[in-house]
Amino acid sequence: MESFLASTTAFQAQVYRALPETERSEAIVNRISKAIALGLLKVGERLPPETALSEMFGVAPSTLREALSDLRDQGIVATRRGRSGGTFVVKQPFTSADVIKKWFQDTSIAEIRDVGDEHAAIAAATVRLACERAEPHEINRLLELARGVVMTDKSELQARADSRFHIELAVLAQSPRLTNAEIRLQAETVQALWAPESLTRNPEQVAAEHLALARAIANDAPEDAQQLVLEHIRHDVHHLVDAKLSLGYPTDQQERP
Amino acid sequence: MTTTTPAVKAAKEIAAWTNTLGTDIDKFAAQTAALWTNGPSPLKVSPRDITALESMSKEFLGEHSFAVGAGVIFSAEAIENPDGVLEWWTARTQGIEKLEFDLTPGGERFYDYQNMPFFTSASRTGERSMWGPYVDYLGLDEYILTYTAPIQVGGKFAGVAGCDIRIRKLEEIFMPALRAIPGDAALINDSRRVVVGNSGAYLVGERIRYIPKDKQLFPIEAPHLGLSLLSSR
Repeated sequence: MESFLASTTAFQAQVYRALPETERSEAIVNRISKAIALGLLKVGERLPPETALSEMFGVAPSTLREALSDLRDQGIVATRRGRSGGTFVVKQPFTSADVIKKWFQDTSIAEIRDVGDEHAAIAAATVRLACERAEPHEINRLLELARGVVMTDKSELQARADSRFHIELAVLAQSPRLTNAEIRLQAETVQALWAPESLTRNPEQVAAEHLALARAIANDAPEDAQQLVLEHIRHDVHHLVDAKLSLGYPTDQQERP
Repeated sequence: MTTTTPAVKAAKEIAAWTNTLGTDIDKFAAQTAALWTNGPSPLKVSPRDITALESMSKEFLGEHSFAVGAGVIFSAEAIENPDGVLEWWTARTQGIEKLEFDLTPGGERFYDYQNMPFFTSASRTGERSMWGPYVDYLGLDEYILTYTAPIQVGGKFAGVAGCDIRIRKLEEIFMPALRAIPGDAALINDSRRVVVGNSGAYLVGERIRYIPKDKQLFPIEAPHLGLSLLSSR
């Protein structure tokens, strides 16, 4: 029999590789933790029933139970029995310094740039559509959210305020798909961007960039809005790369006692 | 002799459908208001009232299968206790489920309902109002339109009752009327945003900045909603 493996490239082999159940369970844990961290699932909220969850994730019930048990062990969810029972979100997942450091170690500069590239593509279209489609009274809310990052000095709240602003741009673009794409992209990077393990970020600077962008949308200036959002994302990418280098490749001075 | 053009006919059909639903929403609002007839002001929303609101919302959703959500939103000034301020329910394959909202100002997913257009408008005018299409990111997380009527208790505005309709559903409902119009045509809302268009020329969510020379706006005779039909004669 002709081997299909022989005729596939290395990239294609990646596509067809089997999905181990443990990886799927981890993916569920990741998905739910990130959703809580981004504020999409709130503390106190009940998750859908297990049968519905395993169907939605497309996994075996045993895989789902493994994921939930992992989340319970981490203290993120709790399961209560009885009539008003179910699995509830009980705690914000604590993105430990170790997890952030590991993200920086495991993510190559090329990958960071590539996330930035995708974000740039999504955001450029998003802000252009927001210029076309936003109504004047919707702008006030955007201007308010633009300042969100300076309203707190807690890094996890700054991260949420940052992502909230970007998600709002997609809401103003009237596009559920762009909103979902933005949520996914925010989930990938926003915690790393604001974590104290990363280099300190200047919230004033970020708020100023958000405000300039919101004003461009208010003025219905799509060219300006696009240019501003692309620069803003480039700053994010530079920050992540600098943070990675400062963690993973310590300078000589830092290594010396 | 006057002839009815396809555009006028479509505008009439859309108005008829919208007004029928509007009457039902008025009834829904009156039914909820009746829970507090002769009661004290500000209103007290008891657990029993919340149960009653749930069954009314369930009934409304059952009778209007195209609606994805229904319920009531009270004005914070009108009710005594903070509970029961936002009783909104969504239809699931089996039964209904209450939507949970973040009502803490400054909260991450703060649902600033008192500034939502369908609330402010009903509060300001005391009339029905419609808002959408919009991405309901903090509520249903769907692309929807919300249609509300004010709840009046003792002659005073207490909140709104209403329902949410998915845009994709609205498209199914209005498309037959719109497709009967030759040429590009669209149903547009009060802020001149496309709700449903009959071709690729006018896409849902887009705003109509100017009316092309060969087109005109036909008002949809559904009071206070500001809907119109963009079409050639």
